[in-house]
Amino acid sequence: MPDPLISLVVAGLLMGLSALIFWPEKGLLARWQNNRQITHRILGEDALKHIHKCDIKGRRPTMESIAGSLHIGTNETAVLINELQSQNLVQVVDGDIHLTLQGRDSALHIIRAHRLWERYLAEETGYSEADWHGQAERFEHQLSADELDVLAAQLNYPTHDPHGDPIPSASGEMVAHGGQPLTALPLDAPGQIVHLEDEPPMVYAQLIAEGLHVGMPVRVTEVTAERIRFWANGDEHILAPIFANNISVVALPEAPPQPEVESASLNDLQPGEAAEVLSISPNCRGMERRRFLDLGILPGTIIQAEMHSPGGGTTAYIIRGALIALREQQANYIKIKRQQPEVAV
Amino acid sequence: MTTYTPNMNEMGSGTAVPPSPTPQTDILRTAETLRWQIGQNFHEQLMEDIYTEAARIADRAVTRPNEKPRFDLDRTIDRIVTSRIWGFPLMVLLFTVVFWLTISGANIPSGWLSALLLDTVHPLLKAGAAAIHMPWWLSGLLIDGMYLATAWVVSVMLPPMAIFFPLFTLLEDFGYLPRVAFNLDNVFRKSGAHGKQALSMMMGFGCNAAGVVATRVIDSPRERLIAIITNNFALCNGRWPTQILIATLFIGGLVPAYLAGLVSALAVVSIAVLGVLLSFALSWGLSRSILKGEVSTFSLELPPYRPPRVWQTIYTSVIDRTLIVLWRAVTFALPAGAIIWLMANVTIGGTSIAEYLINFLNPLGLLIGLNGVILVAYIVAIPANEIVIPTILMLTVLVTGITGVGAGAGVMFDMNGSAMKGLLDTGGWTLLTAVNLMLFSLIHNPCSTTIYTIYKETGSKKWTLIASLLPVAMGFIVTFLVAQVWRLVTG
Repeated sequence: MPDPLISLVVAGLLMGLSALIFWPEKGLLARWQNNRQITHRILGEDALKHIHKCDIKGRRPTMESIAGSLHIGTNETAVLINELQSQNLVQVVDGDIHLTLQGRDSALHIIRAHRLWERYLAEETGYSEADWHGQAERFEHQLSADELDVLAAQLNYPTHDPHGDPIPSASGEMVAHGGQPLTALPLDAPGQIVHLEDEPPMVYAQLIAEGLHVGMPVRVTEVTAERIRFWANGDEHILAPIFANNISVVALPEAPPQPEVESASLNDLQPGEAAEVLSISPNCRGMERRRFLDLGILPGTIIQAEMHSPGGGTTAYIIRGALIALREQQANYIKIKRQQPEVAV
Repeated sequence: MTTYTPNMNEMGSGTAVPPSPTPQTDILRTAETLRWQIGQNFHEQLMEDIYTEAARIADRAVTRPNEKPRFDLDRTIDRIVTSRIWGFPLMVLLFTVVFWLTISGANIPSGWLSALLLDTVHPLLKAGAAAIHMPWWLSGLLIDGMYLATAWVVSVMLPPMAIFFPLFTLLEDFGYLPRVAFNLDNVFRKSGAHGKQALSMMMGFGCNAAGVVATRVIDSPRERLIAIITNNFALCNGRWPTQILIATLFIGGLVPAYLAGLVSALAVVSIAVLGVLLSFALSWGLSRSILKGEVSTFSLELPPYRPPRVWQTIYTSVIDRTLIVLWRAVTFALPAGAIIWLMANVTIGGTSIAEYLINFLNPLGLLIGLNGVILVAYIVAIPANEIVIPTILMLTVLVTGITGVGAGAGVMFDMNGSAMKGLLDTGGWTLLTAVNLMLFSLIHNPCSTTIYTIYKETGSKKWTLIASLLPVAMGFIVTFLVAQVWRLVTG
């Protein structure tokens, strides 16, 4: 029988070692796989994507900007650009880097893969918004054009990714969202969010935390140098301009039909109170949204809160005569207009 | 070579511009243009409008007269069973009654069945085999091996299931069980699971295979997988007898006789509670690691109460749950019985395969505070946990070479308490062995019936593998840690 202390230490070391190697995402094995994946091809594709992005934004792609976005040295970048040029994907004219038609097609393919995958993650999986971009950065290099067509068909040929960026069609067509930064929207004019920039992640995380989402109606009430105050989907938000700049909106010709008062969600109902459903938040997607519709939670439906779970966190509601329990997080998606209890059911 | 100049406002600045437009390409181009104009949430909007229209038509056409009174009785019951004061005590009380009825009520028919199948039919079969001069190896394989293992499983497994499942189904039919899920939802939410997991877990106390099937009520894919993988930690009927026996022999024996019953009962209950805690811990871990990306939704219907349909319930629970589970257990017990007998009787160079295996696994077993016999018993008892104890006894006799006990190599047997304790002590058992056996009995791979059911329910080899191997890995870690700390403390 080995000494218990020694075997404990040995087992602890073994487990520490295997954790070091096999830990998901941060373990040595995961890192090694990740590094191995960053091949020359992927660097080239990322460079094409960067140049295309600069083109769209009207910036001039440079050796330094490419090196910066790919996290590689300028020497390596020079070699890379040289190779791309010999593959007839880019052309360097008077020191300016341009995409060839062929290069543009490659770039659009990668963008299509990235945005379709984000859409897929949003609709069909349970990954949180913050995880979408990172996952898509990896999968965009692994999908062939045929696989993308299948994916697009499965998702009903979406036109935009969940951040509001247009998904190029198979033939490479796309139309930009045409929005302007939130800060540029005139005071009190009705608008709608068409795009949320997902980079840098820290800023995006803040926008998610505010509960903002593409498709929400907005109205700006105050703009100062320090902050911007606006209503979005019945809630008031205050953001620093640097954050608000990552929100793009379009002006709407007419005011949204709903009166803009601080709206309540289903969570705010106390047992015995009833309310009419105004809308289901656009944040609620895919299977969860379909479940709500299946239960008959639709604009105009009357819902009465019935009882709280003794453990807390879950409340039972009378929905169209059936008693259905929903969690706080779910009930939060449902915006309501209060009613008098007598009108209920 | 032409250089591309970007102009994003220009429609169709693509590569696929045909030289002369035909009507078809015209239509396609128009469709492509319109596609960008209908807005991002077109599908959601369309779907919502269809549902709204359907609801409008239904509301206009359907009248619902006088539904108030029935509803009010329901609300009164709901107020009691989900009240802050009465909700939880009522729940604990009801389930204590169900478990007590199951465990104490099953003893009697179990006794009858084992007297019939093991003590009467088995000798008769042996005598019959001898009368027709059946070769010893054939009668051993068929009667001592396959028949005996199956008879054992049936007599231990059938009575508790035949009591537990109907009781459980009655509660379900009455409408009480969804309220339990409602009451407990917060705990499950915090560990990343669905409130309805409470139901599949409770069902798992009867039988894990039935518990896995019961996860069908969970409609969210992620939470359902969690419920399936953690169901094994609900101590099933097949494992209760092992726990009770070992606790009585080794832990009850530590205290004065008048406390023995209470202490051993407490030991068993703490193992069951540990199982529940482990299933919460594992749910929490899973939903933050490998199950992160699975879809998650939540809604829990609380149906109206109704008087249980007693006979129909008993019929369906006996047919659907008890018999199906029993049939699967029998089909797995038959080959297991044959393997146990063969292992004990096929010898290589004068030593049986079982002894080779036991000697091979003994160092590992001793390291984690068990022994080779127990590990071998758990390997051959994968088909049914019910035969763990008889197999351990048989193998212990085989290894220690004690004479005058048991019924020969490969023949499982049972014996009374003190004699069994004596035999196990000879086999080198200590209090640590007993404690770790109780732990390992809780934390090891599900039985083959459950594994097969998991495969049928998930349709995925990957999740079946995870659900089978994860618990046994956890079992090794837990018993290993307990053994080392135990030895450190006791010196």
